[in-house]
Parts: sequence; structure tokens; C-alpha cells
Amino acid sequence: MVDLWHLFLAFLRASNLGFGGGPAIIPLIQAEAVDRYHWMSSSEFADLIAVANALPGPIGTKIAAYIGYQVASWPGVVVALTATILPTVLLLIFLGTLLAKYANSRALQAMLTGVKPIVAALLIVVAYQTAVDAFRINQRADYLTLVIAASAAVAMYFKVHPSVLILASLALGYFIF
Amino acid sequence: MVKIIWDLFLAFLRASNFSFGGGATVIPLLKSEVVTKYQWLTNEEFADYLAVANSLPGPIVTKLAGMIGFKVKGWLGASVAILGAIMPTTLAVIALGGLILKYAHSPALEAMLKGVRPVVAILLLQTAIEMVRESLTHKATWVLGTVALIIMFLWPFIHPAFLVVGSMLLGLVLFKKKD
Repeated sequence: MVDLWHLFLAFLRASNLGFGGGPAIIPLIQAEAVDRYHWMSSSEFADLIAVANALPGPIGTKIAAYIGYQVASWPGVVVALTATILPTVLLLIFLGTLLAKYANSRALQAMLTGVKPIVAALLIVVAYQTAVDAFRINQRADYLTLVIAASAAVAMYFKVHPSVLILASLALGYFIF
Repeated sequence: MVKIIWDLFLAFLRASNFSFGGGATVIPLLKSEVVTKYQWLTNEEFADYLAVANSLPGPIVTKLAGMIGFKVKGWLGASVAILGAIMPTTLAVIALGGLILKYAHSPALEAMLKGVRPVVAILLLQTAIEMVRESLTHKATWVLGTVALIIMFLWPFIHPAFLVVGSMLLGLVLFKKKD
């Protein structure tokens, strides 16, 4: 019972102080799971991050589910996931309703006008970091990553569904790297 | 009714479970489902939702799933969209647990991830370009975006939340009269 309460607190704090989505939450979860509650060692946590990064989908919920299960089985999973996603989802549904209601309000439009360039800039930074990671020039076959990127750009121009591109590139990576 | 619930589930299942790298990498995939395929939101609404979702903490996929699911079909829609987004990988992590941990550093897995990264980068870039187009409505927005970009590259330790909230307040001051 105490474990469940600790799980709830740990993921509530980590997720709801983590601005910037999944990756921003990782150090906060580490502080809770490794340093505060000693549910796992640093190196176990590092392995968990490697696995979570290899699987698709949101990273925060994958880590929450794994740690929750290790600490307190299925009830642990439910508690850790609830703490991770519920508070902000509820708040956003409320905000989304307001957004729809006041969509034409001048104040809201002005705020959104102000924030959109920042969201665009954030995306540019994420794209840049992913690109740096993807095109690391340290191996012979690296021009292949450029070829993959260029083909993806062309395919997108012809409106190929992104998930097709993802699947194709996973298979390609398996065979060429 | 059943159809739209199923569509919501599928849309978030696909978008979330084809996104590698967590967080923002899901945005291009989600946009292609929600705006292009099912047309639940317009381009502009999607940009609005993204802006609001970014102003709050927590994982971005579940925030967007909650908002969009709720808009399309109320509480049921929100629940179904979130389930679609998190269930498969959650179950995978739990069921395979130790087994996957063993293969975390396997060469085959790393090769596949190496293949997918350039595609993710291009997808993100394209979404970023669209967001830029969507956001540059006034001369001052050019300045805001450029300044934000410079701050993020020069001082990466400054929390994006400050930029997001700060720009909303600035927006209120700068753009209210002109509109």
C-alpha cells in the first residue's frame, strides 16, 4: 500500500514537472526511482531507457509501466500510469473546451499568435537534434543515412503515409547496417 | 458511433506506435492522421492544440490524445485515444520486461533504429516547416521565433516552459490591438 502511494507520488511529481514531453521527464523519473526510492540502480535505469527508446510510443508511459510493474505488479502499473497522464490530460481537456469556446476571443488569439513561433522553434530544435543524431559522421556507410533521408523527403512529397516510411526504414536498417 | 471510436483508437494506435524517439517525434504522424486522414482538426486548430499542449507539463502524446479524443467524442473518445496511444507498448514493456532488457544493446535492434532515425528527422523537419508557415502571421512573430531559436541554441538549459508562457504573455501585449 505504501509502495502504491510512493509510486503515485513519484510519477505525479516527475511527469507534472516535466515540460517538453517524454524526454524531459527522464531525469526527473531517475531522481525519484533511483535516488529517492531506490527501486532500481543507475545502471538498471540506463538499460530501461535504452529499451524504452528502442520501442515506439511515448517514453514516459513506458517507463512508468515498467517501474510500476516491478514495484507493485498490475496495481503498480495502473497507479504509475494514472499519476503520469491523468492530471495534465484533465487540465488540457478543460483548456481544450475553453479553446473551442473562446476560439474567437481576441485575447486568446493574441496569446496563440505569440506562442506559435515558439512551438515552431521548439520543433526545429528537436528536428535538428534528431538530425545530428541520425547523420553522425563516424562510419563508412553513413552516406546511406543521407540517401534514406532524401528518399523519405521525396516519398513524403508524393504523400506516402509516414508509417509506411517508418516500417520501410526499419527493415532497410536491419539489412544495410 | 462505434466507427468513430474505432477510428480514434486506430489513429492514435498507429501514430504512437510508429513513433520512435518519444515526445515530439509523434507530432508529424499524429498530424497526418488527425488533419490529413480523418480531418478531425484543421491545420490551424492542430497548431493551436499543439501550442496549448506545449504550455503544460507531461508526455505530449497523451495530452494530445486526451484533447483530440475529447473534441471528437467526449470522455469516451479521450479514453479510447489514450488507450490506443499507450496500451501496446505498455503491455510489451511489462510482458517482455527482462527479455527486452537483454536485447537492449543488440546489433540488429541498433541497425533498425539507425535506419529509422533519418526518416524521423525528415518527418520532424517537415512538421517544423509547416508550423513555421502557420506561425508567421505578423512581422513580430518572425522576431519572436528567431529570438526563441537563438535562446534555445545558446542557452539550452533555459526551460522551454518559460519561453512558452513568456511568449503567450508577450502575445497578449503585442497582438491584441492589431487583430
